[in-house]
Amino acid sequence: MNAIPKIGVFLCECGEKIKPLVDLPALEKNLASESDIECCETLPYPCLAPGLNHIISKVREKKLNRLVVAGCEGRLILKKFETALEPEGFEKGQIDVINLRGHVAAVSDISAEKKAEKGAKLIKAAVAEMGALIPSISAKISIDNPPIIVGGGVASFAAAMELSRQGIDSLLSLAETDTELILNNLYKYFPGERQNYGRLEKLIKEVKDSPHVEIIPRGDLVDFSGITGNYTVSFAVPEETGTLKYKAGAVIACLDGELSTPGPESGYDGTTILCQTDFEEIICTGENPKGQTVFWLNDYETGQEESVHLSARSAWVMGKHIIQNSPKAKVIILYNEQMPLPLSTFERAEARKLGLQWIPYDKSVQPVLQSGYISFGSINDHLEHELPWDRIVLSPARKIDKKALEVAKVLGFAHGENNFFDPHHARVPPEMVGREEVSFAGSARCSCNLETALSQGKKAGKKNAELLKKAKDGQLFSPRFVSVVDPDKCVGCGQCQELCDCNAISVIEGEDSGVLPRVVDPMVCTGGGTCVAACPYQAITLQNSTTQQRETRVISLAKQMDDDEFIAFACSWSGLPAADNAGIRGLKYDHKNHILGVRCLGLIDPSVMAMAFLKGTPGLLLVGCVPEDCHHSFGVDHTWSRVNLMKKLFSLSGFNRQRIALAHADLNNSEEFVRTVENFSKVLANLGPIEKTPENQARLQSIYRLVKYNSRIRLLLSSGLRRPWETTYKGEQQYALAYDRDDFSEALKEEFLKARLEEIFIAEKRPFSTAELADILSEASVREQLDELATEGIISLSYQEGRPFYKSIN
Amino acid sequence: MIKFNINDTEVEVESGSTVLEAARQYGFDIPTLCHHEAVAPSGACRLCMVELKDGDWSKLVASCIYPVAEGINIYTETERIQNVRKWLFEMLLAKCPASTEIKEMASKYGVNVTRFPVENPDEECMLCGLCTRVCEEIVGLSAISLVDRGVYKKVGSPFAQPTDICVACGCCVTICPTGAMRSRIEAVRRTPAVTLTPLAL
Repeated sequence: MNAIPKIGVFLCECGEKIKPLVDLPALEKNLASESDIECCETLPYPCLAPGLNHIISKVREKKLNRLVVAGCEGRLILKKFETALEPEGFEKGQIDVINLRGHVAAVSDISAEKKAEKGAKLIKAAVAEMGALIPSISAKISIDNPPIIVGGGVASFAAAMELSRQGIDSLLSLAETDTELILNNLYKYFPGERQNYGRLEKLIKEVKDSPHVEIIPRGDLVDFSGITGNYTVSFAVPEETGTLKYKAGAVIACLDGELSTPGPESGYDGTTILCQTDFEEIICTGENPKGQTVFWLNDYETGQEESVHLSARSAWVMGKHIIQNSPKAKVIILYNEQMPLPLSTFERAEARKLGLQWIPYDKSVQPVLQSGYISFGSINDHLEHELPWDRIVLSPARKIDKKALEVAKVLGFAHGENNFFDPHHARVPPEMVGREEVSFAGSARCSCNLETALSQGKKAGKKNAELLKKAKDGQLFSPRFVSVVDPDKCVGCGQCQELCDCNAISVIEGEDSGVLPRVVDPMVCTGGGTCVAACPYQAITLQNSTTQQRETRVISLAKQMDDDEFIAFACSWSGLPAADNAGIRGLKYDHKNHILGVRCLGLIDPSVMAMAFLKGTPGLLLVGCVPEDCHHSFGVDHTWSRVNLMKKLFSLSGFNRQRIALAHADLNNSEEFVRTVENFSKVLANLGPIEKTPENQARLQSIYRLVKYNSRIRLLLSSGLRRPWETTYKGEQQYALAYDRDDFSEALKEEFLKARLEEIFIAEKRPFSTAELADILSEASVREQLDELATEGIISLSYQEGRPFYKSIN
Repeated sequence: MIKFNINDTEVEVESGSTVLEAARQYGFDIPTLCHHEAVAPSGACRLCMVELKDGDWSKLVASCIYPVAEGINIYTETERIQNVRKWLFEMLLAKCPASTEIKEMASKYGVNVTRFPVENPDEECMLCGLCTRVCEEIVGLSAISLVDRGVYKKVGSPFAQPTDICVACGCCVTICPTGAMRSRIEAVRRTPAVTLTPLAL
């Protein structure tokens, strides 16, 4: 059904918002004459029930399989169409929405007829793209291997229990398997939680007894690769070389954060000035501390205020324990007034009954520790009070354990600036990404108590159980827009893997033939697409939104445009919302732009940019996010490099570099977006169109040939992708400027000359002499490039009267 | 198909449609604020009130959530409706005096002043919940919701903190009928590490 595109176009009157502003009858007439469009109709509201029903009946009658709706913001309304047409066999990508209201009707003062013309251009371009769409077959994801729980944190048990209760087999890797030892060491991670150990013991027993859990003896995690359903997890074997490999369907990481004692600058000495973990060790031995113990909750002072409530709970539990066991002991808990008291009403009464004092201190006066006394500012009278002490107990420093760091590094977690892990969290709606790459639980994620760590583990188990059940029922599908590698074209250069911000690309395991193609995990890919534009050999495509489709769209649009109109790409996170919001607010700006929405600017291949110029746009504007705010991490930065490539080529061809520009927008700042477009418009108005002379066309054709097919340049470009302001590259590469000047620009010059020569040979099949070619291109010598072309088998060399002549082979 | 009358004109729509959908299909003008085609209707703003007449009696219904029924008589411009609409606009003007969108719409219907006391002259939000509905239904998240109850109700993120759940897609800003979300989203989305400075002209 989908093989031959049958495209229907529906125009929306949208009450008073479009109908009086755009000449819809003329627009409909204009579109109806197009041969690609099967049917074109104007409806009062295509998005409301009567309109939707009408569209469905048309789809059935005319057997339509692609739709273009011209109405309002696709970001909002597209989903309604997709849901309504799903039973008719429409999948994501087969419906496109043009924002006729927000990009055409509301934003300029031109006549209704002119607006109809502008709308027609945008709609025809969308129709052309729809025609080039080859819908992918929905990939069913199967997960045959069991999930593996790594990291050895206490949350592992909760995760394993949850999976086992749901009847799912799992692999559990533990550093320590002896229950008693596990419990005895737990105070290092969770002090003051001894009252919960009984329950934990039961949990551990249940896991150990479960037939569904296979506990694997483990060394350190050394490697992790593969895709959803088929991960390979390798562990080092202690005291042996070589690794133990396990196949896993999903990975759950359970890591605990480490608590360490404070530094000597705090006065910590381990005997009278202690840390909570030391103190717990003392209590465990059965010793009952005598005298006055002061718990100073100094988390605010050490800059970890987010964990102050944990320290407070531990102090409360330990303090209570001391008083209950030795009636002569006195306990005072000194806390910053900013901390809300983490006690229930019952516990407050209990504290009063036991004589355990909670004393708040003034946040603006830091308590000072001196021998025998600690002074603090009272919040009641602003006097400095003193407390005598026999023992000071300080809060522990919370950070990530070195072991956990190593495990996390293998799993590819980002370690942010704070003390805890930040599991990769793509800033995209849930439907755009299949699943989190690795489920992550434990106190290395955020400082938490035992209960929270366990409940995180349980949650991770539950999430994975759902995933596995879905896969088992054959209901697990990857998102529609994900990158796919063609293994026949992939040469295994690994550029994509380095660029991928979602950790979705890995090497296909198998026969080591030297060249290992990459594979994309469709459940993890967010469809940002910068890998597609970066691939030197065009081996990666973004399903349902291919470079081919975008080229078709710009060809169609550029061909229809007047000389002074230009194309603008806007990303769906910043440029497009800013444009939509400008429309909503009725901000007026120059009408000479044609805005095309893309998921991320990063997916725009340089060939699309070159094609736009080749087909006649005088300028190209790309509006994306502010670099630090890119939703696909580095998409906009990579676009910078691609725009830079185009600018260099423009310089080489004698075009003005200002014709292509990258701009940044914010969704909430439409005024600035409007000014960006206006300013670019002015720049282009000054430059005028690119004259359509044969020389210019040949140059543009050469630029297109170069950026699309020249894998040397594409490889150099993608290996230089970085943030524009970075001065050095990662790894062994050179300084950025040196790379750009010496390697990239030089290579570009050579290859561009070659591309231009090729263009000449394609245009005219007659033999050329070296001098003639040098003359045409106004170059001193083209001998070297000609020799290269001859070796590549593109041209042939022959001699006439002793002089060399070159001629196209085909 | 169900046949009924709007302003004495016979109209015909599929069962399951609402009165508003039928009216829009046939070009009858009914003002709305909290209704957006992309999300399910909720009947929050009451601006879409129409009069349903049956013989001697009549009642007012919110057309965006009232399902069509065979033979009912709907009137969109009776005196009673106009009166209700005027009161609603006056109340909205008192509730959200800072919203230019509401002011424009009210003046289109001839309401320019309000007799109600204005409590907060900077208020723009009328708590229709469109932003929270779009976040849930279209984006598939619930980064924002209506927090607190009664007179303290407002739109916000959990604990009024910028939240990682928000993907900063801007759907709430685009859908907001009063322009209130423009300032509110800044308290919800994670602030960009680098912000744009206004262009110098």
